[in-house]
Amino acid sequence: MNPTVPTWVGVGASVILVAFAVVVSHWHRLHLARDITIAAVRAGIQLVAVGAILLLVFEHTGLLGATGWVAIMVIIAGRVAARRAPGLPHTLAIATAAVAVGTAATLGSLLALGVIDAEARVVIPVGGMVVSGAMLATALILTRLREEVTSARPAIEARLALGLPAREAFTPYLRGALRTALIPAIDSTKTVGLISLPGAMTGLILAGVAPLTAIRYQIVVMYMLLAAAALAGLTAAHLAERVLFDDAHRLRSLAA
Amino acid sequence: MDHSSPLFALDQVTVQRGRALLLDDVTCEIPQGAITAVVGPSGAGKSTLLRLLNRLGEPTGGTVRFHAEPLPALDVLTLRRRVGHVTQQSILLTDDVLADLRVGAPDLDPEQAATLMKQVNLPADILSRKTANLSGGEAQRVCLARALAVGPEALLLDEPTSALDPASAEVVETTVRELVAGGLTVILVSHNAAQARRLADHAVVLQAGRLVATGPPDQLDYLQEDS
Repeated sequence: MNPTVPTWVGVGASVILVAFAVVVSHWHRLHLARDITIAAVRAGIQLVAVGAILLLVFEHTGLLGATGWVAIMVIIAGRVAARRAPGLPHTLAIATAAVAVGTAATLGSLLALGVIDAEARVVIPVGGMVVSGAMLATALILTRLREEVTSARPAIEARLALGLPAREAFTPYLRGALRTALIPAIDSTKTVGLISLPGAMTGLILAGVAPLTAIRYQIVVMYMLLAAAALAGLTAAHLAERVLFDDAHRLRSLAA
Repeated sequence: MDHSSPLFALDQVTVQRGRALLLDDVTCEIPQGAITAVVGPSGAGKSTLLRLLNRLGEPTGGTVRFHAEPLPALDVLTLRRRVGHVTQQSILLTDDVLADLRVGAPDLDPEQAATLMKQVNLPADILSRKTANLSGGEAQRVCLARALAVGPEALLLDEPTSALDPASAEVVETTVRELVAGGLTVILVSHNAAQARRLADHAVVLQAGRLVATGPPDQLDYLQEDS
């Protein structure tokens, strides 16, 4: 294996690409030069910081540090997903719990089955992918549930008025929301490798790993993303269902 | 059934949402085996009152009783099966009429479904139709039949004819009269005094959340004005 990684001089040279984007923006009067510059500087600083912290974690804190890192990612992902569905009660707690369950179950299974090594340099990047898959599904399901509860309120109440318990009255709408939330994960699993080479595989190939070895990793990644999305989506849906109805099987009013 | 005792009794019922007082200290009774019209202008609290009776809504103060039992003491799902609810807009829940009737009554057989169609003055062949192809009047009567399929002793009807043309409205009114003649209690929300006079045996008049009159419609001044 002989990874070809750009030197710092190479990274510096790539700044010319940012300059190119700035020139194009200026030329076409897009007024984006400032945003492009800020984005490029921010990306550089963030990645240097993350690289430095990762180095520290890998060399000094081991698996405990990696677990802490994943936990922080879960908390941030919970906040991001919760922002998608304002007005649902207890959204932050639900979103965080959903991402946590999806991540813990998926990552835990991979570790328990020995599919990935229990090392910080493996757990953190794989954990990152799992967390972002769980976050996407959680955000989607919460958004869809929020929309369903608003648009289907009369139909849900018509079912409740027939004496159906809350869970039964809500099932058709919950199912619809879950299907929508899982479609992106299913679609990207279906088309993997056809439309674009996925991240993990690209990284391994760039690092000099043989393609047939790299795909083994990618297959595991795709399966774990499916599991993370399904588990997080299901958890979010069931927790949301519990807070959407009260003890008298009534659909609560949502804040605007 | 003892028809002398009321089906529902409201005692100093208040509903407050935020700062708005939707119902203010309402005390009244709703008799059994009759049609009670809950009448008043828009925003008077009529639908709010109706939703208390099957606990889709909850009072912030006071007590609602059903057969003299406070509602929270009853199993809410059983209560809702005994007290059906039909809203102003016909809300069809599935693609087929028969499937719609079975939402609350999964064991309903085609024969029972045909009897229900007769009860709501619809032909039996409508059972095989798609709900999307029903007219407004047909859809409203399918909703009525769906509520009846559960076997309730009372029906709450929230402006059941206000979205219908006069001919369809008349059929729905006839259906309601026949159902009550068959022993059902109906509580009907209406902003239409003429409909209350025409249809109801008893009326409860609300204005701005307060009870302003209750009694037989022909004896209430409020209902003598045309609207």
